[in-house]
Amino acid sequence: MLQKKVCLLGAFSVGKTSLIQRYVNKLFSEKYLTTVGVKIDKKQITVGATDLSLMVWDIAGEDDFTNIRSAHLRGLSGYIVVIDGTRQNSFNVALALHERIKTELGEVAAVFALNKCDLKDQWVINREHIRTLAQLGYPVIETSAKLDQGVEEMFMGLARQLVPENSKA
Amino acid sequence: MNRFLSSICRNINLTAFTRDASGQFKPCSDMPDWLVFFLVKQGDTGSYNLAEIFPYLSCFMEDAEQHWQAKRSEPLSSGIWIEIDELERELPLEASIMYLEGQEVLLLQQLGEKYTQDLSRLQQVRNSLLTQEMLESEVQRRTLEIRKREEEIAIKLVSLTSLRDEETGAHVRRIGLYAAVMAKALGWNAEEIDTIRVAAPMHDIGKIGIPDRILRKTGVLNDEEFNVMKKHTEIGASMLRGTKIPILNMAADIALNHHERWDGSGYPQGLLGEKIPISARITTIVDIYDALVHERVYKMAMPEEEALSLMQEMAGRHLDPHLMKMFLSLLPAMRRIRLEVTEESEEPSEEESLEAVCA
Repeated sequence: MLQKKVCLLGAFSVGKTSLIQRYVNKLFSEKYLTTVGVKIDKKQITVGATDLSLMVWDIAGEDDFTNIRSAHLRGLSGYIVVIDGTRQNSFNVALALHERIKTELGEVAAVFALNKCDLKDQWVINREHIRTLAQLGYPVIETSAKLDQGVEEMFMGLARQLVPENSKA
Repeated sequence: MNRFLSSICRNINLTAFTRDASGQFKPCSDMPDWLVFFLVKQGDTGSYNLAEIFPYLSCFMEDAEQHWQAKRSEPLSSGIWIEIDELERELPLEASIMYLEGQEVLLLQQLGEKYTQDLSRLQQVRNSLLTQEMLESEVQRRTLEIRKREEEIAIKLVSLTSLRDEETGAHVRRIGLYAAVMAKALGWNAEEIDTIRVAAPMHDIGKIGIPDRILRKTGVLNDEEFNVMKKHTEIGASMLRGTKIPILNMAADIALNHHERWDGSGYPQGLLGEKIPISARITTIVDIYDALVHERVYKMAMPEEEALSLMQEMAGRHLDPHLMKMFLSLLPAMRRIRLEVTEESEEPSEEESLEAVCA
């Protein structure tokens, strides 16, 4: 079985932990509980003919008090940058994180998740923002951990990039 | 380890390990119950591969290796990670390594209450940061709303004169956009850029006070008519002055001065060079460009190359030569505006799908 380390990154309170909880344990809680440190979950999936074991690293969100350690990115095969559609700041943090990873690790599989699409009437992320993300060349997926919308697609979108082309059939 | 130190370790939930030659870790203090649950997976051999038991440590081992090889005695922390114990509870753990008395040492601590307190503090800080972000976003949203209304009012005002002199709505929009591109290139801040985008299109608003027989005359104006026509600068300025609204103040400056010339031969005041407000100097350039390259009821559109050559001749006499140079360097952006903002162009729907936006 192919084992891959993937990280969820983003500003604090964008819903990284909720997305993982929804994906791994099929759970969702409305309450915001901040993450300190790193929590690792495992999920086994199949992409085409390949069995894949994802080690999903839930890394505490970025803010003035918490920075992601470079060591956390070691051995990374892919990452999901989570943006809270209702917060402009989370978009800026996402771009900065993506840039940082590109600088530190080069081109790595990635997906941008526009989370909280259940609150779309409050979104400040507009077409221009989405276009900016799309131009970076990675999938952009709207998600809601609350409604279980786009969550599977988001992880599969990343997983497909991790499996060699000839094993996808 | 003596009993005294052992009991300290137990009380602070800390276990000390030393690393042997094979890279396995051997406990050298009593093992707390919570740790047994994790170590038992590797059997009762007395030494353990901690990076295998705690995958988080795999990313730390490279730094640890360097630290041990450098024989550094100060502790190096792994950072905090969370494990789930046999009761499905979250256990916050942290490892520290150091080199002590010829031994490679790893301390593993279950942070317990300290973590809970830190977490609670951080939660409070982040909750207030979220509230602050929300408030800032709300202020920004409302400011944008006000700005949008100001813009709508400005466009409505401009449309009053447009109806009479047959200037098109697209021309009005383009003037604002060209001016904004110039302002951005000059390093103006976002608010100032927005202000000129809305203010520049109002430059001819004073034409509302010019009689139809002069404004709509198709032939050449005689001296008397031209003198009346010139009044549109002062009429516009007096219409727009007298408020504390930055857009209207800039619009008044532009309306009054957009027929001033760099060499001082313009009107109404004959201002020279940089005495002419920069907002007006910008507007003069973009207005001439747009008027030349577009068709009007009384003239054909001029090919861009010809228009630019004419404008270059005007630089230093009629137009600010520095701004003209900048305008030429921004031509690709200006062309995009010229080609995209037409009478036919429509605003795209807000309901455009994600796929369509990403396509």
